[in-house]
Amino acid sequence: MRHLFLLSILFTSLLSAQDKNTVNGTITDIRNGETLFGASVYFKSTGIGVLTNEYGFYSLTAPTGPYTLIISYMGYDELTREIVLDINQKLDFELTESTNELNEVILVAEESERVDIKTPQMSVTTLKIGTIKKMPVVFGEVDILKSIQLLPGVTNNGEGSSGFNVRGGAVDQNLVLLDEAIIYNSSHLFGFFSVFNADAIKDVKLYKGSIPPRFGGRVSSVLDVRQKDGNNKNFELTGGIGTISSRLAVEGPLVKEKGSFLLAGRGSYMHLFLKLTEDLKENSIYFYDFNFKGNYELDGDNHLYFSGYLGRDVFKFASSFGSSYGNLTGNLRWNHIFNEKIFSNLSLIYSNYEYQLELNAIQFDWVSDIINYNLKYDFKYYISDKINLDYGISGIYYNFHPGVVTPTSETSPINNLVLDQKRAFESGVYINAEQKITQKFNLQYGIRLSGFSRLGGEPLTLYKNDQPVVYNEVLGIYEAGTPIGEDYYDIGERMKTFHHFEPRISLSYQLTEYSSMKANYTRVAQYIHLLSNTTNVTPLDVWTPSGVYIEPQLANQYAIGYFKDFKNKFLNFSVEAYYKSVENRIDYIDGANLIANNNIETVILNGESRAYGLEFLVQKVAGNFTGMMAYTLSKSEQRAPGGKAGGPGINNGDWYDTPYDRTHDFSVTGAYRFTKKWSFSANFVYQTGRPVTYPNGQYEYEGMSIPNYSERNADRLPSYNRLDLSAIFVPNKRPDNRWKGEFVFGIYNVYNRMNAASISFGQNKQTGLNEATRTAIFGIVPSITYNFRF
Amino acid sequence: MKNIVINILLVTSILLASCTDVIDIDVPYAGPKLVVEASLDWQKGTVGNTQTIKLSELQPYFDDTTPYIVTGASVKVTNDSNGRVAHFIDQDNGDYVTSEFIPVVDQSYTLEVVYNGITFAAREILTPVVTIDLVNQSMENGFDPNVIEVNIFFKDPLEEENYYLTIFQERKELLPTLLDISDEFTNGNEMRIFYEKFTNEESGEKELQPGDIVDIELYGISKTYFNYIRLLIEQNNDGGPFSTIPASLRGNCINIIDPDDYALGYFRLTEVDKRTYVVE
Repeated sequence: MRHLFLLSILFTSLLSAQDKNTVNGTITDIRNGETLFGASVYFKSTGIGVLTNEYGFYSLTAPTGPYTLIISYMGYDELTREIVLDINQKLDFELTESTNELNEVILVAEESERVDIKTPQMSVTTLKIGTIKKMPVVFGEVDILKSIQLLPGVTNNGEGSSGFNVRGGAVDQNLVLLDEAIIYNSSHLFGFFSVFNADAIKDVKLYKGSIPPRFGGRVSSVLDVRQKDGNNKNFELTGGIGTISSRLAVEGPLVKEKGSFLLAGRGSYMHLFLKLTEDLKENSIYFYDFNFKGNYELDGDNHLYFSGYLGRDVFKFASSFGSSYGNLTGNLRWNHIFNEKIFSNLSLIYSNYEYQLELNAIQFDWVSDIINYNLKYDFKYYISDKINLDYGISGIYYNFHPGVVTPTSETSPINNLVLDQKRAFESGVYINAEQKITQKFNLQYGIRLSGFSRLGGEPLTLYKNDQPVVYNEVLGIYEAGTPIGEDYYDIGERMKTFHHFEPRISLSYQLTEYSSMKANYTRVAQYIHLLSNTTNVTPLDVWTPSGVYIEPQLANQYAIGYFKDFKNKFLNFSVEAYYKSVENRIDYIDGANLIANNNIETVILNGESRAYGLEFLVQKVAGNFTGMMAYTLSKSEQRAPGGKAGGPGINNGDWYDTPYDRTHDFSVTGAYRFTKKWSFSANFVYQTGRPVTYPNGQYEYEGMSIPNYSERNADRLPSYNRLDLSAIFVPNKRPDNRWKGEFVFGIYNVYNRMNAASISFGQNKQTGLNEATRTAIFGIVPSITYNFRF
Repeated sequence: MKNIVINILLVTSILLASCTDVIDIDVPYAGPKLVVEASLDWQKGTVGNTQTIKLSELQPYFDDTTPYIVTGASVKVTNDSNGRVAHFIDQDNGDYVTSEFIPVVDQSYTLEVVYNGITFAAREILTPVVTIDLVNQSMENGFDPNVIEVNIFFKDPLEEENYYLTIFQERKELLPTLLDISDEFTNGNEMRIFYEKFTNEESGEKELQPGDIVDIELYGISKTYFNYIRLLIEQNNDGGPFSTIPASLRGNCINIIDPDDYALGYFRLTEVDKRTYVVE
């Protein structure tokens, strides 16, 4: 810590040779005091400029002299200020949201969503909540995860599956952060809703590749979600009432213009409709979540933030079965401005993900959780107009409780079982520089050094020949290895340690005023893994840390792209090609039983995966009509040769399509502002069907017809496509009216296509004939939601 | 355990406004492959000398003509300790029958099938089973408290790892219900296995009614057969979006010249306790 501070001082003294001064400050929204992330702050006609960071902070250094300082942010009126930069100055600014004039640039899309031509940062998209709120979704509920799936390179595994997939990567390869706290399961109800309540969210940034060194731990993407701070000028109530769920958020000042809070809640109640049916009235399915944020400005250089989130999903099937799962996070952050050039943020984070299953029929109760404590200290040093530096450290302590099984009564046939508690510590230290080499050439280069130690407090099973899983030549299957003993490691003792250097380099070269080329190389290590061998992730899937028998995943991603802004038409276009390879991707032997398995190493094999593709994106960001069209052509495959276990491996050690391979992924979304009262939007999505394994014959056994399967994922489901429409109606729009409301009418899947979530094969129970049964989750679903703000 | 969980997840996802439809679809065909259903089950209280082995071939998935039976093969089972051979006689309908088999608990036997000039061999051990102590019915001990379930009780031996296969056949149903069970969570305890049916308009299944007759079989099986039958049951109960990726089931009947070539099906040797229960 001290070393980092000394390093900063060294840099300052080296560069203070010239007579330069700095202006710095925070940019906020004049109406509610919310900081603005990604606003452009620049000196007119000099090429000196910067974007504000997550906390609205900017710092500009330039030679002494007079300047016209301009602050602009899409959807807000531009602010201009003449300044004389003769000494260091602190200037905060408040921007005003543009009032809507029909023909002007309207706040339907914001500045940072436009592909930023100059910065070397590529493969990243920022979505402002305003844009997300205009897209039609399921049940009229605005959903961040569904919105990012409209971007190129982002898909999910179909309706009913949680999480999302980025560039052919698995669900556990996405680092999902809510105000910097790690979220382990980003979906409610198997993917029907995300855990993010749009009323509490300020903006969302998705890094699909080119992950900056300040992030680590997941190889495919980073989804950085930031909550609103809360209106620090007036109290405000926002909410919505819908057919399936409702939400309410209240925000207001703690101390006027110095501190504010936000409390939002959401819950679903469709299970109440189940009570009306005879068959299903004993059942319930619901979710609820709460978001909390509080912040307080201690003085001009110090600001404190506290965020929290609690979400739960509950299922009850009669009185015989119950399950619940959810995330709980809390974090405390302290922004400290050391001087006009150095911004720092210290975070203390707690995160808990728990899942629980109760089977009363056999009197069985299973609870499993992951707890982590995280400390992060990040610095940004705005050295000069030519170079910025960011650096920091992070430490995460994990405690995994994979499962405790208890009998719920004396007569239960279940014995007590406790799966070994696992502990680990993950660390990271990074440094990154953004440098303007020439007027046209910008470079971002950095490195992250990550470390991971699997700590003791559990026994380690030792296997014959050091083979936890071994190929049985006679039977031609993989089996658990023979245990020959146990080593016991104390808590705090290290069972295994890993270190990896993760260089990250990006460059951009400006071809013309409005177009550029970018290229990027990223290396990332991932130390914890979500084990799931079902087609879709279930809430019972287990997060497992790397250790003696499980290697960390290591990814190398290369990307290159071309970006063009058609400024006069508010259009922009980009094309990106990527190649990603991941070492140590876990694969499962046939029939692996992961549930309540204390020795996972006996059912897994070490494999690798690779994905490559071409992504196209066209966006229209302003005007009465705005929209986006995305197309991705890609491939994602994996393989697992036998390796130490011997034998041919999974699927004979050949490459096979991962379940998230989608050859074609096309989506188009548009919003049209018709009048002051009415606006319309539509989505259309088309994707190649998911790879599946079909039977290649049948035979009789025990009086039943048994399907025979061979190659994994050699077939495909029918293609997935659907059209959604929605209309937003704003009645009585009087600007002086404090109560603002709107009706959102939506139709999901307008032409009622029964997209197959899965196809299963079996005998008809009455005729005995084989048939294929398609399960589709949603047909046409209309919805009405009333949103309000007070 | 996993089956229960998968079934529950399937039910849950169905609860959420989903639809199932039978559709027409094309699937590939791997060609004819030998299938050996060699289930030598010794029913408690009988001599167990009469046994049947069925041989057939893999046929296209939607082909509903009668099974591709195999005739003209030679089938024998040898006791590995004393070399006694039981010859199975070709009945010309895919069945091969013997009355020479002498079952001995914990004894290893070898099966040999010669089919089209190729010899397939398998070796297994005859696994004993405890008797079923009690069979009764209840309402509130299953998944749905309004539906009858039939329960069987037996005491799992503490000293060893035990694996069981239970088969329930309600006589009005076309297909049996198979359950694979291990004593992993319940070693040494009095175990209860229950069989419950639910009324399902789509499949035509009806819950258990008074007067229904249920044939119950409890087999003691080896660990390797447990792994096989567990996968078979799992793949047969295809659980929709939560099913594991299916794979070919490798049984234990291997081509002695080319170990990569194997027959489908399995050679199992079990002791079995059978009961019949009439629902009240």
